[in-house]
Amino acid sequence: MREPTFLILTALADAPRHGYGILQEVNALSGGRVSLLTGTLYTALDRLCAEGLVEPDHEELVDGRARRYYRLTSPGLTALTAETARLRDLAAAAESRLRTPNPATPKPRPA
Amino acid sequence: MTTPLARRYRRLLLCYPRTHRRDELLATLLDAAPPDRTRPTLREASDLLRHGLRARLGRPASRTVVAWATLATVISGLFGAAFATRAAWETVRPLPDAAQTRAMLLEILPNEPWDQVYPPPPATFAIYNQPLGWNMASEMMLGDGGEYSQAAIGAGVNGHPGDDPRRTVDEALANLESHGWRVYNTAWSDAYSCVGPPCDPTTIPQNATIAARRGDTALTLEVYTWSTPDTTHLSASFMRTTPLAVWPAGIAGFLLASLAALLLFGWASRRTEADYPTRPAATSSEHPARGWVMGLFGLAMVLWWAPTLYALPFMTLHHVREPHPTWHPMWEWLGQPTFSLFFVVGGGCLLLALALSALPRRQTEAITAAT
Repeated sequence: MREPTFLILTALADAPRHGYGILQEVNALSGGRVSLLTGTLYTALDRLCAEGLVEPDHEELVDGRARRYYRLTSPGLTALTAETARLRDLAAAAESRLRTPNPATPKPRPA
Repeated sequence: MTTPLARRYRRLLLCYPRTHRRDELLATLLDAAPPDRTRPTLREASDLLRHGLRARLGRPASRTVVAWATLATVISGLFGAAFATRAAWETVRPLPDAAQTRAMLLEILPNEPWDQVYPPPPATFAIYNQPLGWNMASEMMLGDGGEYSQAAIGAGVNGHPGDDPRRTVDEALANLESHGWRVYNTAWSDAYSCVGPPCDPTTIPQNATIAARRGDTALTLEVYTWSTPDTTHLSASFMRTTPLAVWPAGIAGFLLASLAALLLFGWASRRTEADYPTRPAATSSEHPARGWVMGLFGLAMVLWWAPTLYALPFMTLHHVREPHPTWHPMWEWLGQPTFSLFFVVGGGCLLLALALSALPRRQTEAITAAT
């Protein structure tokens, strides 16, 4: 799973969100590092809907603007849970290796 | 939502298919835009263009639809360009008449009796000296498509070359240059072939082919060093070089045909795509001929690409190995009309696939999402 997909699914994990809400949440989740553009977001949403991981929830009109909310489906939740576990395992493995000092690797200089 | 920014976003959203949720995208774009923004950024515009074209292809979960669309767009563009260049070839100047031909040949080899001038066919391109028509369709498609070639006016001299043929070649080359012709490398080839004793391949007489160009006229002069009194020992033909209009016509033809192919591919792809697993039962549907459409499209791509992939390296080698005052016309680089049967059958497959795509989708029960 690519990082933008993971972040979009994560953004929808706690509540349904509309397009702009997802953009904001992805930006916040990544600490401002990932800033999705609207075209990219909707292509990803179309794909996730076609894969059955995300589905439209409801629509509303705010200030004359159409907003459609999206929510995670049960397979979407499963996929996100599996990916989270995979990333956690990878991070744990990396941390474990980093705790074992390698004499050939130069030590980081103190700040 | 009629601000200048909204209008500009709306124009960019035309890249998306009409049935796509353009209003929803517009709302998100306006929500995400800073208050002082009056026009989309370049990054936004290219993002909407790219993803809008992707949305036109449908099948959002497909990993191959972009590759198929590229294949269809490129080959259609190439064929479109080929047809456009064929039309533009009609702007070519008429060939020199018999008197002008004879006068030019007497400039090149004044001591030869250029009395046999063969008139050109009554068309810019001809097959067996006839304009292409329905009466020649079967010859064209069933193996003789390679005979469809550019019209030329020619002349020949019969008899045994009395003098040293190499002196004839030298004289022709000198006269061509002195009369303003650009002369290409002379190609020498064996008059006949033999293998080993008693024949010595190094003693085989050599025929010469001289290629030259002056303005929009190309000359091919062949000097046969081994002939009998009844056969030709000098043969010359004049044809026109590619007219200038061919280039813009080819580019325009490529762009228009590519665009048309992209839009048609996207339309058929969206109409025949599989349903979303999460679509509500009331709106769930499937296309009755989805498999047929995909099969016909795949067959058409094979029939259109195979001759092109065969002809392209062959023509490139041909141009590199032999002097060409003017390049072969574009359709020959695509294997046409030698493989015109492939093209026609492929075109028929595509038309049938498009017709089947137009069939209405039928309602079906909702497919529940797999867990």
